[in-house]
Amino acid sequence: MEERRYRSASGARIALRRRQHSASCRELAVRCPRLRLRSLSAATSAAWLAAYGLFVLTENSMVLSAAIIITLVGLIMYLHFVKIDQESLLVIGSLGIQVTSSYASGKESTTFIEMSQVKDVVINEAIHMQKVIYYLCILLQDPGDPQGVSEVVPLFQSSKPRLDCLIEVYKSCQEILEQRKTQSS
Amino acid sequence: ENSPAPLPERAIYGFALFLGSWFGFMLYLIWAYVPETWLFSLGLTYWPQKYWAVALPVYLLVAIGIGYILLFGINMMSTAPLNSTDTVTDNYAKKQQQKKFQEEAIPALRDIPISEVNRMFFLPEK
Repeated sequence: MEERRYRSASGARIALRRRQHSASCRELAVRCPRLRLRSLSAATSAAWLAAYGLFVLTENSMVLSAAIIITLVGLIMYLHFVKIDQESLLVIGSLGIQVTSSYASGKESTTFIEMSQVKDVVINEAIHMQKVIYYLCILLQDPGDPQGVSEVVPLFQSSKPRLDCLIEVYKSCQEILEQRKTQSS
Repeated sequence: ENSPAPLPERAIYGFALFLGSWFGFMLYLIWAYVPETWLFSLGLTYWPQKYWAVALPVYLLVAIGIGYILLFGINMMSTAPLNSTDTVTDNYAKKQQQKKFQEEAIPALRDIPISEVNRMFFLPEK
């Protein structure tokens, strides 16, 4: 069990936690920075000041209660659907790869990809908004064409680690993926 | 054949365009500034409304300004998303032919699959 600190593509601090469950099973978890009280209070104050300004203009008190309700509902939806707390990758040698995202409200969403569908785990570069970023992705095998790639599944989408963190994750995954080549041959 | 050197035909085209654009500009200024009554007295009655003398330049400038934003937006929309196979390969790479490896010759140019590139970059050879 090992934890190391890295930076995300936007500069936020993230932590990578590696656990080796067995010789062919590894779990890699990237923890994103928590929601800061400063930014939360700044956003709430800005929204409520704007609502108060609107109230002064329109003399309608419904604006204030609407602003409170919208802020509360918006915060709950943000924590439940948008803010990701931790993204983890569980690689089990002969079985498959499981990708889990845990949200700040406690919700977890998992995807499992079985090993026969996995062609490789690679670090790809792509244009994202105005930058070129490195991101780790799983290449899925095309059933008709052994050399072809049918789908690309990007990983760690919201934490967006930088290249040094990605290289660590890549090496760990490749150690396990190489075992299946030696096993099958 | 297609050289950017100056030719007599090009000089003539250039001068004709120069005269034409000056004439067009003078016509536009006359239409915009000369009062309608003077133009009517000369017998020239079929002109567009003078409103357009101001409206068309404004339309043009706003269109140019929107064009900047539109081009930026079109570029962002055409960028392949992170989960598309276009970031990894394309039709030409799939259909490329493998040339035979010859000793002591420079290897032929080809698209190297991303797994191989990654192994070379990130897995240090012992």
